[in-house]
Amino acid sequence: MATPVSNPAGAPCNIGPRIAIRGNVSGEEDLVIEGRVEGSIALTGHLTVTAGAVVEADLEVDSVDIHGQLEGDIVAATTITLHEGCRVAGNLRAPRVVITDGAQFKGAVEMDVQLPGGLQRQQRR
Amino acid sequence: MASTVIGSSIVIDGEISGEEQLVVHGTVKGRISVRDSLIVENGGVVEATVESVSITINGTVNGDISATERAELRPNCTVIGDIRAPRILIADGASFKGSVDMGG
Repeated sequence: MATPVSNPAGAPCNIGPRIAIRGNVSGEEDLVIEGRVEGSIALTGHLTVTAGAVVEADLEVDSVDIHGQLEGDIVAATTITLHEGCRVAGNLRAPRVVITDGAQFKGAVEMDVQLPGGLQRQQRR
Repeated sequence: MASTVIGSSIVIDGEISGEEQLVVHGTVKGRISVRDSLIVENGGVVEATVESVSITINGTVNGDISATERAELRPNCTVIGDIRAPRILIADGASFKGSVDMGG
């Protein structure tokens, strides 16, 4: 049997469709979830939640693409993308949040918005 | 082709269950229960109670192991815990501490 190379590029990390994880997942590489995860996920890489995947967890990631179901708050360092067919309930916080046509989402969105000078003064009052 | 791969930098603290092959390059603490084969690769660390059909260990396991078919301890692996399986293989070079139960 060939031994798979143990590096992020050679062995992409994925949770298959018939696997369920309950607990905390953390790491420093990209992760693809096709199955079920309950708990929390902290990743310095990219997370993909595929169509058919069910995630009930708070996410802290670099960036995330969601095609499946997710319940939980998402904090991303770069981008959150909700794709067509996804169902997401929770609060999103990232510099860039993309919600495409056909995505279902319930929750709050928070981006670091740079308001023009005048508006910023108004907001402070 | 493995369906589920836990990468080398991934740490899972909790429970993994399922019905497909699981390959662990990273760290899993807690409990693993898969109704298929489990492979702990070189560099993989499992601190968990493990239940599977067929278990192959190249890395480190600290916990009790139970397989319905076979458990194989490859050279260079380190295992601390009790093993229960109808077929148990311990290769030359494996380090193991615990009891073996083949159900005989």
